[in-house]
Amino acid sequence: MSETVVEADGLGAAYGGPPALSGVSFSLKPGQTLCVLGPNGGGKTTLFRVLAGDLEAQTGTARVDGRPAHLPQAERPRLDFPVSAFDVALMGSLAHGRWWLPPRGHERAAARRALKRVGLEASEHDRFGSLSGGQRQRVLLARALVQDARVLLLDEPLAGVDPASAERITALFAELRAEGRAVLVSTHDVDSARGFDRVLCLNRRQVAFGAPAETLGSDVLEATYGAEIVMLDDGRRAVTVQHHAPGEFHPPAAGRAAPGAPPDHR
Amino acid sequence: MRSFCIGKRLSRTILNYAPPLAAAPPSPLELVDLAFTRSALAELVLLAVAGGLLSGWIVLRRLAFFTHAAGTATFPGLVVAEAAGASPRLAALAVAGGYAGAVGHRPRRTGEGGDTTVALLLVVALAAGVVLAGDVFSSGAGVDSLLFGTLIGVEGGDLVVSSVVAALAVAATVLLGPVWAAAGFDPEAAQAAGVPVRRADLCLLALIAATVVAALPAVGALLVTSLLVVPAAAARLLCDRLSPLLAGAVAFALVQGVAGLYLALWLDVPPGPAVAAVGGLVFAAVACVHRPGRAA
Repeated sequence: MSETVVEADGLGAAYGGPPALSGVSFSLKPGQTLCVLGPNGGGKTTLFRVLAGDLEAQTGTARVDGRPAHLPQAERPRLDFPVSAFDVALMGSLAHGRWWLPPRGHERAAARRALKRVGLEASEHDRFGSLSGGQRQRVLLARALVQDARVLLLDEPLAGVDPASAERITALFAELRAEGRAVLVSTHDVDSARGFDRVLCLNRRQVAFGAPAETLGSDVLEATYGAEIVMLDDGRRAVTVQHHAPGEFHPPAAGRAAPGAPPDHR
Repeated sequence: MRSFCIGKRLSRTILNYAPPLAAAPPSPLELVDLAFTRSALAELVLLAVAGGLLSGWIVLRRLAFFTHAAGTATFPGLVVAEAAGASPRLAALAVAGGYAGAVGHRPRRTGEGGDTTVALLLVVALAAGVVLAGDVFSSGAGVDSLLFGTLIGVEGGDLVVSSVVAALAVAATVLLGPVWAAAGFDPEAAQAAGVPVRRADLCLLALIAATVVAALPAVGALLVTSLLVVPAAAARLLCDRLSPLLAGAVAFALVQGVAGLYLALWLDVPPGPAVAAVGGLVFAAVACVHRPGRAA
């Protein structure tokens, strides 16, 4: 059996109350990509936080090979922080274990290379908060590249991203896969999930895991999204929609998506 | 009738300062010629380095309220130490250090609860300090100096303590600055990358507590934020990069310290409040000339 770089077995997690996630079991090999699908509050971010070591598993086990590079949702990093795109990319070098020493020349060079790879070499001096949403995501990806992790956890990296950035980021997924890295991407976009090696459907518990072609049937999608899924083209396409009356929506608490909150329109 | 009384008192207060203002200002050289102002100046320069650098991190890491509370929390400890004949510096260090440790070890994601706890602590510390000073130890005479400092009375020991915290602030900014920046910018990603966010933050809180204690003789328990928050708050309006912000904060701390001491000498007012007032004026001036959008 070949090595696995990410493995979860009966994984469950909570924020001090009822389980936010339970019964998650899957594994990934080097060079595999995984799309994590689910509604808001379905447990995607919770899963990534457990895999990143930021949240302790309540039940089961999770194992990640080395320190993963974690790209939280775009709104998590502080936009008012006085750092440039280059400063942010260079933060990836802190993962190399020499955090108490100033960055070395080759680490600075790696940060510049990473910015070039995401197409932002001309913006390295721009303040992070002044960049567009798509550019910010690419800078955070550059930070993950500098970190040189074998496992990347990307939490909705394409949410609110302009088409040019989305294209660049999607192309980067293929490059990272070719380099033998495992890439885990959470999204609401059911159609884009079909381009991944594996798909994991969550709705506060694991609904399904497997190859997209075999897994993404209407029954699985309905179990994942409930009444929020609409199948199109005889089941070949699916979109998630909101079903809530005005005033029904309760904004998520800080640091956590509210269970049952409606997904974005796609 | 009440507004008339306040107006009368205010005009009397202004008249009190009129003779010194009308007199020729003292030579700035007096700041170095006189032994007591020389010590005060040295103390302010050292505190400008420590306070200026740390104020950058305090503002960026949103620790201004913590810093104010750490200063106020030392007040009852100082009263007890004074009455008991113990070292006020050690008592203040124990209280501020204990407070920093409690904040550093509190559960994460406490939300607004953290601020509420700090506000409660502020009230309790001030009330306890006043009760202890007035009713228990009857040492009310020294309360003013504990709350607002006695910059003119700084001694060799105070300068040694300030030198140590200044050196520590420089070293910590060089060694831990990147970690503090990463943890402030995106704590979850820093944690996931294996950066010791919690330990680095504890170091920051401990260093702030030590600097608060070092600043007590100069500006007192209530005015420590004038040296540990105001300089970076002003620099933040002008700088949108980390290094210029830290350098600017040190420069602003120097300016407000030296100008405040000079004004205290000229107007014969307490130096600690004068330094704090100049800091406030500098911030207001920068805020007035600052065009929104020029910096973060």
